[in-house]
Amino acid sequence: MLKKNLVCIVCPNGCDVEVLLEEGQKTEILAIDGCTCDKGKEWVAQELTRPMRTIASGIPVEDGDFKLVSVRTDAPIPLGKIFEVMAVIKEKRVTAPVAIGDILIPSPAGTDCNIIATRNVAFTG
Amino acid sequence: MQTIERDLVIIGGGPAGLAAAVSARKNGLDDILLIERDRILGGILNQCIHDGFGLHTFKQALTGPEYAQRFIDEFNRLGIDALLDTIVLSLDSNRTLTVSSKKGFIRIMARAVILAMGCRERTAGAISLPGTRPSGVYTAGAAQNFVNLQNIMIGKHVVILGSGDIGLIMARRMTLEGVKVEAVFELLPTPSGLARNVRQCLDDYGIPLFLSTSVFELHGKDRLTGVTVARVDDRFQMIPETRRLVPCDTLLLSVGLIPENELSLSAGVRLEPATSGASVDDRFMTNVPGVFSCGNVLHVHDLVDHVSEEAGLVGRCAVRYLKGEPAPEEAFIPVVPKADIRYVLPQTISGKEDVTISLRVTRPMRNAAVLVTDRDRKVARKKLVRLHPAEMIRIKVKAKDIETAEKLEVSVQC
Amino acid sequence: MENHYDVVVIGAGVVGNAIARELSKYAVSVAVLEKELDVAMGTSSRNSGVIHSGIHYKPGTLRARLNVQGNALMAGLCQDLKVKIDYIGKLTVAQDEEEVKSLYTLKDQGEANGVPGLEILDPGAMEKIQPRVGGIKALHSPSTGIICPYSLTIALAENARANGCRFYLGHEVTSIQKTGDRFDIRAGNKSFSAKILINSAGLYSDHVARMLGIDEYRIYPCRGEYLILDKRLKGTLNVLVYPAPHHGKAGLGIHLTNTVSGNILIGPSNEYQEDPEDYACTADIMAQLRREGHVLLPELKTTDFIRSFSGLRAKQTPPEIGGFKDFVIESREDVKGLINLIGIESPGLTSSPAIALMVRDMVTSLLPLTPKKEFNGARSGMTGHFYELSDEEKADLVAQDPDYGEVVCRCEQITKKEVLDAIQNPLGARTINGIKYRSRAMMGRCQGGFCLPRIVQILEKEFGYRPEDYYLKNLHSPLFSGNMRPDKTRV
Ligand SMILES: Cc1cc2nc3c(=O)[nH]c(=O)nc-3n(C[C@H](O)[C@H](O)[C@H](O)COP(=O)(O)OP(=O)(O)OC[C@H]3O[C@@H](n4cnc5c(N)ncnc54)[C@H](O)[C@@H]3O)c2cc1C
Ligand SMILES: Cc1cc2nc3c(=O)[nH]c(=O)nc-3n(C[C@H](O)[C@H](O)[C@H](O)COP(=O)(O)OP(=O)(O)OC[C@H]3O[C@@H](n4cnc5c(N)ncnc54)[C@H](O)[C@@H]3O)c2cc1C
Ligand code: SF4
Repeated sequence: MLKKNLVCIVCPNGCDVEVLLEEGQKTEILAIDGCTCDKGKEWVAQELTRPMRTIASGIPVEDGDFKLVSVRTDAPIPLGKIFEVMAVIKEKRVTAPVAIGDILIPSPAGTDCNIIATRNVAFTG
Repeated sequence: MQTIERDLVIIGGGPAGLAAAVSARKNGLDDILLIERDRILGGILNQCIHDGFGLHTFKQALTGPEYAQRFIDEFNRLGIDALLDTIVLSLDSNRTLTVSSKKGFIRIMARAVILAMGCRERTAGAISLPGTRPSGVYTAGAAQNFVNLQNIMIGKHVVILGSGDIGLIMARRMTLEGVKVEAVFELLPTPSGLARNVRQCLDDYGIPLFLSTSVFELHGKDRLTGVTVARVDDRFQMIPETRRLVPCDTLLLSVGLIPENELSLSAGVRLEPATSGASVDDRFMTNVPGVFSCGNVLHVHDLVDHVSEEAGLVGRCAVRYLKGEPAPEEAFIPVVPKADIRYVLPQTISGKEDVTISLRVTRPMRNAAVLVTDRDRKVARKKLVRLHPAEMIRIKVKAKDIETAEKLEVSVQC
Repeated sequence: MENHYDVVVIGAGVVGNAIARELSKYAVSVAVLEKELDVAMGTSSRNSGVIHSGIHYKPGTLRARLNVQGNALMAGLCQDLKVKIDYIGKLTVAQDEEEVKSLYTLKDQGEANGVPGLEILDPGAMEKIQPRVGGIKALHSPSTGIICPYSLTIALAENARANGCRFYLGHEVTSIQKTGDRFDIRAGNKSFSAKILINSAGLYSDHVARMLGIDEYRIYPCRGEYLILDKRLKGTLNVLVYPAPHHGKAGLGIHLTNTVSGNILIGPSNEYQEDPEDYACTADIMAQLRREGHVLLPELKTTDFIRSFSGLRAKQTPPEIGGFKDFVIESREDVKGLINLIGIESPGLTSSPAIALMVRDMVTSLLPLTPKKEFNGARSGMTGHFYELSDEEKADLVAQDPDYGEVVCRCEQITKKEVLDAIQNPLGARTINGIKYRSRAMMGRCQGGFCLPRIVQILEKEFGYRPEDYYLKNLHSPLFSGNMRPDKTRV
């Protein structure tokens, strides 16, 4: 049996969580203490098996009223994939107009997420 | 010089100004003018491209620009007037403003004013870093502007002073861009940013956070070449034996925010030392009649959701004031911070209405309760698992419990 | 030969620039060689900015004479150059009878030097000038003034430039040869030649003299650190207040000085230094200045300290000896055509217009000077800043030029027009510090946190700057490492 301490990152409460687990072939969670909500518990289970994160970045836009369109992943991606996804984002260039929610890169680096725009960029020519 | 008259002028088009405007319109006020010095609405949120906004309001982890856009869309749908690229240069106690833009320099006489100017960052000067004055020293917010809005990278090898949220967010942002972030140094024994940001911005990327440690000197005549760091004792004095040189070409300062109250002061608004923001009653009115304050200019918030909520309330209060109902009360009940409380807000209340008291604690604590009392009588109590100076705590007080109150005292009960 | 001048001036500080401007009144070709990318990067931007009255110097010395003469010339000069100067006066305050005696000595000395209007005041009269000043008697010197030292230095250079004088910024003089009656000078990979060479290299004046085999001078840099206080405290000081000289008490001591822009300086300290460019501020001195600040101004808050800076005095005496030596201003007999200015420490700023006249006379005896009809000593533009105007004046100005309507630096309320003017300065200086000194943007309480991003945008939009093109002060101080996402077409 193993005790692990985590900080839940789902919401700003940032609950301190203590987990009791059995590490075998498959990690088994015996008890979760400290989560204030169920979302947090789900996250803890996920975190212990396959940690997931969202990331945000920017992509250069041509002909727009902003130089960059800010973007984010629309679903969490595996922690270990972050730099692969960033490498794809870094290569991308787009042209205005762009609207919030536009999918700019579908499924980067083979992940189950899309890179979507988080700002409107108008065409200025 | 052109002079115009308006019912309600809102200074600042960040989330506070936007929510106040939307709420004032929804409460039936026609004549509203919002003034924003930037070319776009949204305030500081425009450069906060990370997610984590709106979990309370929209039950969704939005980024800053997305969160702002929802309010901007509503603001526009309601057809509220805004002057963009326009700065308010002065405000006096009669609520007369001077306002400047490319279109002209004009005077505006307002029947009510809502202050929503946000805050600015503390600088190296304000905290007086010894050493040379090389290039490569930025506040974290300025760095965020360059990286996220201007596509400019500020350096290659970064040290961050202060564990405020903006610094933590920038540590991750720059790491993702391939910049080496050496470490974050924090003078206090606890991080000043949110625990989740320490986790997901530093721990995830193996960036060390050194507590009770600070930067004591800058090096490099031209561009920064390094900083001297050292641990401090419990009186924040440097421990000389622990001094070491950390090479870097960039230093980000994330040492706190100060409400931007220059205009408030010029209007004669009284400020609270503990918040550096105005002292307000439960209608968020300052000591200057008709001048209200909300958002980061009132007290620094960690959550934009709270800003929007507070500002919504202030919009409504301003409309009530303009409609002349009910007349401002003379006898206000003071609310005072006691044991382990750094500040409370509002600082005075009428006792006639339910009120939410916002507060911050002085130090991290666990399993404690926030207690509101009136002459030793319990008025409200809120139990919390974790109390942290970085997180604002809010506690509701019912009007029926405070009708006869003389003074409310807020404290932490362990 | 291309870079062939009658006169070459080394060093674009207030002294070199005052000389260049004075010479630009005559039909001679003049060049100023400056190692930094802008003028006023040395001592001339790092001092108290006080136009001294001249009470402190021994009668008969150059310092006494040039100070009093410079003080008198400064008013007209500033009017021509559109530089703000404020003769606010100074109280030298005595706390006991011993000190009162020293006030009378100072007064006699000042009068011998020709300082006008000196008066010993009793507490009633002192109180009228500066409430809560304390002390039992004070010497009032009404001719003491304050000025922005770098504005003056820049204005002198700009006006000299407008009258035909050439400025070579980023040109460090590395060697000088005297061949026949000319000097051959290497600076910034260029060769210059001059009939007359003026060495006004400030902290490096000894070094430059040595290039011509003159070994008798040695400069000992002595650092003075300051803290700058927020404008919030403007109005707490009407005049300058200095303690009376006292046996056993050190020099002028740390004191408060108002600046023309409404800040207050605390300082300067007094610390000998090896390196003539070590402008570091030290933890110990800063702590000391903060402490003294709290004593002198009890209402000070920690957030009122907006910045620190330091300057280096070009002392001719080593630390063991201390004290002052008189200015050296000499036309060399052994190296004909060389005019040396050595050890121009305080009151060098005040004296600069008088020094310029003295040097002009030295030049005349080497090379007859004929006045130039086309000389125009008046600088265009406005004195002071947009924020100092009345509302009506502001409204008019914005109506004339919309760029005045756009405020770029919110703390100092500096407009886009002022920033553009600073960028398009006649000397072609383009560093961020240059923009800061000329416009005052980035000098307020946020120290550029807000306006630097905007100034960067202006430089990019109006002047096509790329991230690699921004420098703080010299080519070794880039602001940025490049684009976050390089342009595909550029990589
Ligand atoms: C870097 C950073 C990260 C944050 N991260 C999070 C997070 O992850 N989650 C979260 O919920 N919250 C977060 N917050 C908190 C939240 O964003 C702020 O509390 C909120 O933006 C404050 O809103 P405001 O309207 O009071 O101020 P601001 O957004 O600063 O808006 C003030 C506006 O007033 C304008 N203004 C000021 N003076 C004048 C004048 N004289 N004339 C005209 N206009 C003027 C300014 O231009 C600005 O647009 C973060 C804040 C910062 C700074
Ligand atoms: C702390 C302090 C406070 C003071 N307060 C006052 C005051 O209140 N009132 C007053 O009247 N005076 C004051 N002074 C004195 C005054 O500042 C100086 O006398 C004056 O600025 C000297 O000007 P300068 O032109 O000789 O030197 P600088 O301004 O140092 O100019 C010399 C220039 O030469 C350049 N240079 C050096 N070597 C070379 C080279 N090899 N090639 C090319 N260029 C070179 C340097 O870069 C520099 O720009 C003060 C001085 C200090 C340090
Ligand atoms: S457990 Fe629930 S309340 Fe606690 S941080 Fe996680 S999501 Fe927030």
